[in-house]
Amino acid sequence: MPTAKDLQSLGDREVVALAKAGKEAAYRELLRRYERPVFSLIYRMVRDRALAEDLAQETFIKVLNALESYRPEYKFSSWVFKIANNAAIDQLRRREVDTLSLDGAPDARTADEVEATALQAVDRQESPLAELESRELGSQIELAVGKLRPEYRTCILLRHVEGRSYEEIAEVMDLPLGTVKTYIHRARLELRDYLAHLRT
Amino acid sequence: MTDKQLDGGDLDALVLRELSCLRTLGPGRGFSDRVMARVRRPQPAPVVLLRRVGAWAIQPRRAVSLAAAYAVCVAVGLRLAVPWVAAHAPAFSFVTSWAAAQVSALLDAAALTIASWVVELGAADAIHSAFTAGPRLWAALAALTIGYTACGYGLRVLLRAPRRKDVSLASAL
Repeated sequence: MPTAKDLQSLGDREVVALAKAGKEAAYRELLRRYERPVFSLIYRMVRDRALAEDLAQETFIKVLNALESYRPEYKFSSWVFKIANNAAIDQLRRREVDTLSLDGAPDARTADEVEATALQAVDRQESPLAELESRELGSQIELAVGKLRPEYRTCILLRHVEGRSYEEIAEVMDLPLGTVKTYIHRARLELRDYLAHLRT
Repeated sequence: MTDKQLDGGDLDALVLRELSCLRTLGPGRGFSDRVMARVRRPQPAPVVLLRRVGAWAIQPRRAVSLAAAYAVCVAVGLRLAVPWVAAHAPAFSFVTSWAAAQVSALLDAAALTIASWVVELGAADAIHSAFTAGPRLWAALAALTIGYTACGYGLRVLLRAPRRKDVSLASAL
């Protein structure tokens, strides 16, 4: 039976095969390899630590419980990032819907009803990411990335933070290769605009 | 760096470099344990089969049906087996007595072997001299009994559960 150290030297496919055979150490190795990249991607997408942790957890539960359906001809990392990205995008869409009800339920008639059904804005503590954003250039780039459209954000994070190839990003996002290249080009242009003040 | 005058190309290069330097963030402690607690690991095929059969059979109606089927099988089996055994009683009697003789011979051989070892090793003499040693033997037995009782009492004191309900585990230890 391979030890945790042996597993570290194996490729994703071999580790997945061991996990399929029920080896707990293989499951933990997959988690160890991907928990940080997946969490980082989700966190930079949703910008809320607790939510990002929940989504990352759901992502891994989905991935590890569905290992039987994983097809080895695809890259394991693409599959994991695809599920993580879908979870983050779904959450962002849901959040967009939630923001519509900030001013109270549409059927509220009296002022009291409006007040009772309105969402209360909570004075949140500064998140670790927000803390980071208050610092130097890296923080300004974090802020600029946060302003990008979710699709652009995923592309730019996978390409330049995670170092994934264009082909893999296309696989993760279910988009043609050309579209991915266009998104990354546009995202760079937008980042340049957001960071234009650095030129002066 | 931000004080520097940057042209478009410089800014692009700077942004790309800083993007690749962004910190990789990690989830909180115990993340992998929380995930693993909700992951269903594949079980060996016989275990899965046994669980499925168990889950299927545990339904009340199925359990009653299975019990009834089992009772019928036993009754039918006995109905067929008893007359057959009765018809072949002499043969069974012969086989049983032969097996009993074999077992008895084996036990005799084992007892003889042990007895010869005891005699060869001089253990019989040692046991005999111990019993005739008188005061020394009684002293040893008394010391063993006292030691055993003391150990038992010590364990009882050490393992005694706290009587008050609000005693914390830390204070109990």
